[in-house]
Amino acid sequence: MIDFLQLTVAGLSQGSVYALLAVGLIATYTVRHVVNIAQGDYATLAGLGSISLVTAGLPLPVAILIALISVTLASVLIERLVIARVKNLTTLVSIILTLGVSTLLQAIMLLIWGAEAKRLPAFPGSDVTLGGVSIRSQELWMLGALVVVGGGVLLFYEKTRWGKALRASAEQPVAARIVGISPAVASIIAFAIAGFVGATAGVVSSPIYLSIWSGGLLLGLKGFVAAVLGGLVSFRAAIVGALLLGIIESYVAGYVASGWKDAVAFFILIIVLIIRPAGLVLRPNAVRV
Amino acid sequence: MSYLNKAAMRSKTGFWPNNRGTILGVAAFAVIIAIIPFTASSSMMNIAVFSMIFALPAIGLSLLMGLAGQVSLGQAAFFAIGAYTHAILLQKFEMPGPVAAVGGVVAAMLAALLIGLPMLRLRGHYLALATLGLGFIVMIAVREWEFTGRTTGIYGYGRPEVFGIPIDNNGLFFWFVAPFVLIGLVLALNLTRSRAGRALSAVNDSELAAESLGVNTYALRVKVFTLSAGFAGLGGVFYAYQVQIVSPQVAEFHVSVELLLMVVLGGLGSVWGAVAGAFIVELLSEGLRDLIPAIIPGATGEVQLIGYGLVLILVIILLPGGLYQVVKSAWAAISARIGTRADAAAKPASAVAVDDGSGEVPTRAFGGLPGEAPAGAGLDEVADAAASDAPIPTVSTPVAAGQPILEVSGLTKRYGGVVAVDDVTLTVPAGQIMGLIGPNGAGKTTCFNMITGAIAPTSGTVRFLGEEIQGKKPHVGADAGLTRTFQNLQVFSSTDVVGNVYMGRYRKGRAGILRGMFGLQGREQYAHEEIAHDILDSMRLGDVAGLAAGDLPFGRQRMMEVCRALAAEPALLLLDEPMAGLSGSERELLAQLLRALRDAGLTIVLVEHDVAQVMALADTVAVLDDGVLIAHGDPESVRNDPAVIVAYLGTDAEEAEAELKELEDQS
Amino acid sequence: MHRAQRRLLVPAAVAASIALALTGCGASNFGGDSGGGEAAEDGPIKIGAVLDITGVGANLGVPEQNTLNMLAAQLNADGGIDGREVELIIKDNQSTEDGAAKATTQLIENDDVDLIIGSSRTGPSLAMRPLVEAAQVPTISVAANAAIVDGSEWVFKTAQNDLVVLERILDDAESKGYTKIALVRDATGFGEGIADIITELGEERGITLTATEAFEPSATDFTAQMTNIRAADADAVIIWGITPSAGLAQAAYVQLGVNKPVYQSHGVANDAFFEAAGPAADGVIAPMGRLLVADQLADDDPQKAVIDQFIADYSEEFGSSPSSFAGHAYDAWLVGTEAIAAAGTEPEALRDAIEATTDLVGISGIFTMTPDNHSGLTADALIMALAEGGRWTLYEE
Repeated sequence: MIDFLQLTVAGLSQGSVYALLAVGLIATYTVRHVVNIAQGDYATLAGLGSISLVTAGLPLPVAILIALISVTLASVLIERLVIARVKNLTTLVSIILTLGVSTLLQAIMLLIWGAEAKRLPAFPGSDVTLGGVSIRSQELWMLGALVVVGGGVLLFYEKTRWGKALRASAEQPVAARIVGISPAVASIIAFAIAGFVGATAGVVSSPIYLSIWSGGLLLGLKGFVAAVLGGLVSFRAAIVGALLLGIIESYVAGYVASGWKDAVAFFILIIVLIIRPAGLVLRPNAVRV
Repeated sequence: MSYLNKAAMRSKTGFWPNNRGTILGVAAFAVIIAIIPFTASSSMMNIAVFSMIFALPAIGLSLLMGLAGQVSLGQAAFFAIGAYTHAILLQKFEMPGPVAAVGGVVAAMLAALLIGLPMLRLRGHYLALATLGLGFIVMIAVREWEFTGRTTGIYGYGRPEVFGIPIDNNGLFFWFVAPFVLIGLVLALNLTRSRAGRALSAVNDSELAAESLGVNTYALRVKVFTLSAGFAGLGGVFYAYQVQIVSPQVAEFHVSVELLLMVVLGGLGSVWGAVAGAFIVELLSEGLRDLIPAIIPGATGEVQLIGYGLVLILVIILLPGGLYQVVKSAWAAISARIGTRADAAAKPASAVAVDDGSGEVPTRAFGGLPGEAPAGAGLDEVADAAASDAPIPTVSTPVAAGQPILEVSGLTKRYGGVVAVDDVTLTVPAGQIMGLIGPNGAGKTTCFNMITGAIAPTSGTVRFLGEEIQGKKPHVGADAGLTRTFQNLQVFSSTDVVGNVYMGRYRKGRAGILRGMFGLQGREQYAHEEIAHDILDSMRLGDVAGLAAGDLPFGRQRMMEVCRALAAEPALLLLDEPMAGLSGSERELLAQLLRALRDAGLTIVLVEHDVAQVMALADTVAVLDDGVLIAHGDPESVRNDPAVIVAYLGTDAEEAEAELKELEDQS
Repeated sequence: MHRAQRRLLVPAAVAASIALALTGCGASNFGGDSGGGEAAEDGPIKIGAVLDITGVGANLGVPEQNTLNMLAAQLNADGGIDGREVELIIKDNQSTEDGAAKATTQLIENDDVDLIIGSSRTGPSLAMRPLVEAAQVPTISVAANAAIVDGSEWVFKTAQNDLVVLERILDDAESKGYTKIALVRDATGFGEGIADIITELGEERGITLTATEAFEPSATDFTAQMTNIRAADADAVIIWGITPSAGLAQAAYVQLGVNKPVYQSHGVANDAFFEAAGPAADGVIAPMGRLLVADQLADDDPQKAVIDQFIADYSEEFGSSPSSFAGHAYDAWLVGTEAIAAAGTEPEALRDAIEATTDLVGISGIFTMTPDNHSGLTADALIMALAEGGRWTLYEE
C-alpha cells in the first residue's frame, strides 16, 4: 500500500509536468491548429538556461525568472520567424515545421550545454515522510506550479475577454477581430503562453528529472498524448489526462517493468485515437472528417 | 485547331514517349552506380552505401507523402521491423537470405496495415502522431524483449552471398543493393503515373471530387501506406546485412527525422527527389559531423542535427517544393529560352503552340458563338465542326426510361437545433431532367450532399438503383453510376484539363496499385485518355486540353467539371448550379448537350438558381423552401403553384408572379 | 513533350550531383589486400579503436580516448615498435551497438588495421565480436561483461570480469552477515546476466537475491525502481551500472529514504560518480582496480610504480587524474603493443602472442592470458573502495 501511494505521488508529480506541456500544446493548437513538436524543448531550454544562470552565481529565483522570460520570448520569436512565415500552414505542415524547430533547438542545446544531463538545485523546502511515503519538496513545487500556472491559463481563457476571444478565434477569426485581436496577435499570445508554461515545467522538474538536450521531445510528446485525451481543445480534460498518464506510467514502471514506462503513453495514444479520436470529452464525431 | 492539338497530344500515348524520362533517367543512374565503386574514396563509398539503403524507405515515404498526402513520423519503425525480422529469421531460424528478406518486408507491411486501418480513417495529422508513437513503441519493445536481444540486439548472422560470392565489402554491397533501389524507383515512378497514383493526387487536390468520381480514398491510402512500409522494410533488410547487427537504435526517432528530411528536401511527391535527398542528407550528416566540431571546439555527439533542423525549416518556408521544384523551374527557364529561339526558326508551327499556351484563344473562340457577332468566324467554324463531329458522350442506362432510378425518402438533416433539410421524399424517374430549385439556403446543396454521400443524413433513406446508399462514402454511389458536379468548383489543379476529365474515367478503369507499379496498364490508360479527349471535344474544350486546369476561365472550368462527370459514363448526373458563371453561348451549348444526353437515356438532376433555364430544360421541377419540399411536378404546374411563388419572392403572390415573369423575360 | 523532358531533367540532376559528390581518389572499394601480406610488415602498424566517446558511455570513452592518444604519441616518440611507426585510428560508436559495428567494419575494410581496441561498454563490444571473429582481427575490449570473451578466438578484454567483482562484493556481504540482497542493474549488456551470477554465487554464501530492478543508462528518474527496492526490504543493495546513471540512481535511492548499505560496481570507478550522486555517494562500497586509491597503496605493491607513472603522465597531459576506464585502455594498449613487439602483425601470430601474455603488470591488475582465458585478471586485481567525502578511499575489510 505504501508502495502504491509512493508510486502515485511520483506519478502525480511527473503528470504535472505533462499537464503543463499539454496546456501549452492546446494553447497553440486552438489558435493556429499547430501541433508544436517543440513544446517539450521549451522545458529543457528553460531548465538548462536556469542551471547556467545559477552556476554563474545568480540566486535561484532570479535565474528562474530570467529563464522563464527568455523562453517565453524565444517561443514568440519562433512564432514570428518560423511559424508565421509559412503561407499555407496546414496541421500536417506544422508538424514537419515544428519538428525542424525542435531538432534545431536540441542541436543548439547540445552545442551550448553538452551531452550530459544537468540538475538545477532543488527549490527551498524539506522532504516529508507521511506514513512511510516520502514526498520530496520538489514534487510539491511541481504540483504547485501546475495549480498556479495551469490554473492561471485556465482562468485567463475562461474568465477574461481576451482569453475568450482567443478561444473563439480558433473557430471564428472574425469573432476575435470584433474583440480587437488580430489573428497575428492571437497567435503571438498563444505562443507566449506555450513558451511560459513549457518553461515553467522545465524549471520545476529539473531538480528531480534533470535537464538534458534531447529530453524535450519525449516530454512534449507525452504532453501531446495528454492533450489528445482532451481532444486537443479542452484544458481541463488534458490536465486530468496528463495526471492520469503520469500515474499509469508510474504504476507500469513499478509493477510491470521500468523499461516499458515510456511506451505507455503511445499505447494510450493509439488506443484513444482508435476508440475515441475526439478525446475524452467531446462527441466522437466532432473531430472526424 | 483542336485537331492539331489532339494530334500533338496523342502522339504521346505510346510506350517510348511515355516512359522515355524513366528509362533514360534510370539508365543514367545505373551507369553511375556501376562506376561509383571504382571512383569513390572509401569514406565516400561508405556514404554511398548507406545512401542507397536509406533511399528505399525514403522512396516509400515520398509515395506516402506525395500521393496519399499523409506523413509518417515513424518510418524508422517499419525500417526497424524489417531489419529485426530479417536478422531474427537469419540468426535464430537459419533461413536462407531471400526468404528472410521477404519475411522482413512482409512483417513491415503487416505492421503498417494494422496501424493504418484505424488511423487512416482520421485526419492526416493523427496518422503522423500515431506513427510517431509506433516508433517509440517498437524501439522500446525490441529493447525490452529477450527475443529481440534487448539493448544489444541481434547479431552474429553472416554476410549475404550471391552465386557463391560473399558480399563482404562496400563495393560489392553497393551493387548488391543497387538493383533493388533501381527496381523500387521504377515501380514508384510507374505508380505515380498510374490510375491509382493519379487518383491519389486528385484526392490531394479535392478529396470530395475524387470520391464523387468513385475513388475509394481510404482503401487507396491504406494500400499506399502499406506499400510505403514495405519499402522501409526492404531498406531495413539491407541495413541488417550491411551493419551486421540490428539494435534498438534503428527504430530511433532521429532516423525517422532523417528520412523525413530526405523526402522534404528532395521535393514532396518526387520519387527522384527522395533518392537525391537520401544522398544529400547522408553527405550532409557526414560533412556536418566533421565541420561542426571544427567550428565549435568541443562539440560532440549528434551535431549534424543542427543542419537537419535548419534545412527542414528553410525548405518548408522558402522552398516548399524542395529540390524537385528548383530543378523544375530551372528547366522551365532554360527551355523557355531555347523555346523562343526555336520559335523564331519555325514560325508557323510554333505559332499555334504559343497561342495554345497563352489561354487567350479559347476565350476568343467562345466569344463568337452563334447568336452574337461573329468576331472570329474562321475559328468558330473549326469549333462547330468539332462539336458536330464529336459523338455524344456514352451514358449508361441501367433501368428503362420512366422507372425510378433514385428514390429519396424522409431525408432529414439537423445541425444542432437547426433543420436544414426536413423530411424530403422524392422519386426521380430514369431518362428525365429534374430541376431542383429554391431560394438561397433552402437546402438544395445539402440535399445533394446527402444523396451523393458527401454528408450523412440525420435520418431518411436514399436508394439509388434499388440500393440504399445514405451515409456511405461518395465513392459507393459513384461506383454504381451516380456522379455530380459542385457549386463551388472542385478542380484538380495539379493536373491539366484532360487529366481532370481522365479522372472521370476512374470508375471505368480496373488497374490497381500492383498493375500500376509494374506499368501494365498503359493500354487501358491510353484508351481512357482518348475518350477524355473526345468528351472535351464534344464540349468544345478540346483546344485547351493541355492547359493547367486552374488556368481556365471560371466558366470553362465549370464546363470541364461537367465533362469530368460525363466521363464516368454515369446513369444519374447531379449538377449543382452548372450554369452559374457561364456565358450565354456556353449556357446554350450546355443545355443542348444536356437535352441530347437525356434523349440518350441519361437521368439528370440539376440544382439551379436560373429559374428560367430550369423551366425550359427540366421535365419535372421540385421546389425546396426552408428544407421542406413544397412542390413537385411539371414546370408549368410548379410555375403556377401559389406556394412556390410566395416562397420564392415574398408574401404578395401577384407581385411575386410579376417579378418572376420579368426575371424570366430578362434572361 | 515538355513534360517528358522535365521528367528527364530531375534524374539527370540527381545523377550529376551524386557523381560530383562521390568522385574521390580511386581507392579500392572491393576489400583491399586482405590479411596484411608481406608488404604490410614494413609499413606503419595500424591500431584501430572503437570507443563510446559520445552518448551514454562518454564518461568511459573519453578518458580511454585520451589515454590511447597519449600512449600512441609516447610510443612513436620512442621510435615505435621495431622501428615501425604506430598509427592509431580512433572511431566513435556514439555508445550504440550499430555505431560500433559500422566503425568496426570501416576499420577492417577501409583501414586494414592489425589490432582493434574497444568498445568501452559491453553491448557495443558484443556487436563487434562476430565481425572481428569473421575477419580474424585480434581485438581487445575494454568493457567488463565476461560474455565478450566467452569462447572467443580473437577477442580479449582487460577490465575485471563481472564475476570476480561480484565475488568480492558477496564475500564482503557474507562477512557482514547479510542474507538478502536486492539488485538495481543497468538494462544494457553491462547489467545482463548479473542477477544469475548473484543467485549462483550467493548460494554457497547463504545469500539470496530478493529483488531485481533495471534502469536505462540514459535514465534520470529512478523513483519506481527504488520504491520496489525499498519494498524488498533486503539487507543490502547492489547498484550495478556506469556513471552518470548509477550515480543518479544512488541519489534517488537516498532521496527515497531506503536506508540500507549500497554496493556499486567497478562501473563507477571515476570522479563523475561523485558529480552525479552528490553527498548521497557517502558510504558506498565498490570493488575496483587500484588506480583510484593509488596514493593509499603500500610502497611494495607490485603495481604501484606503473600506476604512479600513468597518473603522472595523464595528469600532466590532460590536467585531471585518470579514471579506471583510462586504466583499462592503458592495459589494452599495453597487452596489444607488447604482443606486436613480440610477434609482429601477422594475425594468428599476434593472437597467439596475446594469449601468451604472462605476469604483465598493468593498471587494473597483473595480466596472465591463455588460449582459454582471454580476460587475464583474477580477484587479486580488485580492492574494495569506500566513497568518502567525494573521493574513493581504500576500504579495510
